[in-house]
Amino acid sequence: MATAPSDYVFQDEFTADSTYETGEAVSLWKDAWRRLTSNYFALFGLAVIVLLLLVAIVSQFWTPYPTWKQGIGPTYGGPSAAHPFGLDQVGRDILSRLMGGAAIALAVGLGTALLSSIIGIALGLLAGFYRGWVDTVISLLINVWYGIPDLLVVMLFVVIINSRELKWIIVAISITAWLNMARLVRGQTLALREREFVEAARSIGTRDVGLLTRHILPNALGPIIVQATYLIPAAILFEAFLSFLGLGAPPPEPSWGAMCAEGYKSLQLAAHVTLVPAFALAITLIALNAFGDGLRDALDPRMRR
Amino acid sequence: MTLEASPEVESRVVDKQLALVSVEDVTKHFPIGAGLLGGGSAVRAVDGVSFEVRAGETLGLVGESGCGKSTLGRVIAQLHPATSGKVIFQGQDLVPMRGEKLRRMRQELQMIFQDPYASLNPRMTVGEIIGEPLKNFGLARGKERSNRVHEVMRTCGLNPNFLNRYPHEFSGGQRQRIGIARALVLNPTFIVADEPISALDVSIQAQIVNLMEDLQNRFKLTYLFIAHDLSVVRHLSDRVAVMYLGKIMEIADSHSIYENPLHPYTKALLSSIPIPDPDLEAKRQPILLQGEIPSPVNPPSGCRFHTRCPIAQFPICSEQVPPLESKVDGHLAACHFAGQL
Ligand SMILES: Nc1ncnc2c1ncn2[C@@H]1O[C@H](COP(=O)(O)OP(=O)(O)OP(=O)(O)O)[C@@H](O)[C@H]1O
Ligand code: SF4
Ligand SMILES: [Mg+2]
Repeated sequence: MATAPSDYVFQDEFTADSTYETGEAVSLWKDAWRRLTSNYFALFGLAVIVLLLLVAIVSQFWTPYPTWKQGIGPTYGGPSAAHPFGLDQVGRDILSRLMGGAAIALAVGLGTALLSSIIGIALGLLAGFYRGWVDTVISLLINVWYGIPDLLVVMLFVVIINSRELKWIIVAISITAWLNMARLVRGQTLALREREFVEAARSIGTRDVGLLTRHILPNALGPIIVQATYLIPAAILFEAFLSFLGLGAPPPEPSWGAMCAEGYKSLQLAAHVTLVPAFALAITLIALNAFGDGLRDALDPRMRR
Repeated sequence: MTLEASPEVESRVVDKQLALVSVEDVTKHFPIGAGLLGGGSAVRAVDGVSFEVRAGETLGLVGESGCGKSTLGRVIAQLHPATSGKVIFQGQDLVPMRGEKLRRMRQELQMIFQDPYASLNPRMTVGEIIGEPLKNFGLARGKERSNRVHEVMRTCGLNPNFLNRYPHEFSGGQRQRIGIARALVLNPTFIVADEPISALDVSIQAQIVNLMEDLQNRFKLTYLFIAHDLSVVRHLSDRVAVMYLGKIMEIADSHSIYENPLHPYTKALLSSIPIPDPDLEAKRQPILLQGEIPSPVNPPSGCRFHTRCPIAQFPICSEQVPPLESKVDGHLAACHFAGQL
């Protein structure tokens, strides 16, 4: 029955690509990385983020003075060799508190980005993939949620949980922050599920979980990462705002927002108490947004060959 | 070294008289502009189609762009649910099947896609792409799976050293081989090939056709081979079906279709193919069809070809739908005046 098979292994068509080193894949990510590293503003952002990360880690083991210790020097003491950023209204070392604040900011930023991304990705995938009533319910939830002020949600949550511990603040911000991610992922999923390779995956018996995790999610990863990057500064700013209002982590946690609020009362007397954490906050937000923009441009499919 | 016929394949009965797939009065309508209460119209992409694909044969499915070939192929491969009708495969109607039962069925029923760029996941390596079907059905793991992937790659003319490459590193022809390997790795009985060569360079088309023919012989495959041009399927089809605007116009064995076409539409399609022989080419008289292909949203009444048919007679052609019926032994045509052009 079977005719003698011809051997296809070394055909002309093959040789065209055999100049490549075997196994050396030029991935799309490498491409993006090259573009990112040629963007100086994004690199500045990255440098600040790395510095911040180092400071945050170091602060967990060492700060010049304990962040909570009062009366180390003169109240409202200005910058000096012993206290480069001066002292605050109860004589705490501002540099030490700034370092501790970096850890809080990063924990809030990364924690919120992670948690709200998980919520947003899961709901977005479900809505976009299953459409129908699942989509109707999730989209309705998103639209209603948009209408409710974030601050109200967080305040209610903090009241209900009856705790202002940092982890609960992170959860509280996360449940307000997933909406854009969910919308983004839903849109991506709606488009990707119609792509031929998803149809092909279905035809080879891939289950829904596999379609979502192996085919749809990896192809939406670029925009998801960009969106998650923007979530970090937004969460840090929101936490600072909450702390400024006295709704954030309770004293003596050295949250930058709380430091600004405490110094704010004596702005004219000792501006550095407010300006130093405010400046740290601003630099951090600018750096994170610059990095997010760079990442977006680097991963933008329109810029791809 | 090669993927030699497994016992399962050896015992595969190939009786070319037996129907492997029976398509019975299948329709596929895509609703358009439907309001909440329905009432919108629909693209009647496939509109009442019946035929069978016999075990071990290649059935060519031909028709102009937009006539519903891909839709029909996808409905048969259960990638689109049919609006109505039956697709009987190995004695079971696939149309009402859902969930795990349908998924299991897919092992036997594979598809090769037209666009070798769009049909491969850009984020997966070739090894992952070809190994995925095995993973889905728990057929082989670890070393065994990679051996099997190597084997299939070799069978399909791919160098197994390229296992860790991504699809964008390959040429169109190689990508199509990847698509074929992915369909083949499950050892299916039936493959729907939706214009598998039309996106490729002419120089590569013959290689892919040869590969597919070779695989068919070795693994006793049955093909539904879709093409938009009669010349493409000529030498590889046992039988040919000609489709126009969602309906089958004519279906017969290849020889009868090419030598003795009965339907005016088939005649017109054939007359438009250039003949390599210059003398015959000089004598060729293309039958030019007037007008545009009508919209599948509002197909013409009676015979859907009557708006362009050179021998249409009225009112019969615009009032009565010509049934697809046997004209001369097993040669089916849907025309009131079959063979008269
Ligand atoms: N998902 C869809 N939604 C709405 N209409 C569709 C859809 N898929 C196909 N159609 C319509 O159905 C008709 C048949 O399309 P189909 O792709 O099956 O044609 P085809 O014969 O494969 O054409 P081609 O040679 O261009 O591939 C066309 O009018 C097309 O616009
Ligand atoms: S039925 Fe009439 S219109 Fe249709 S193909 Fe035959 S002759 Fe032409
Ligand atoms: Mg098509």
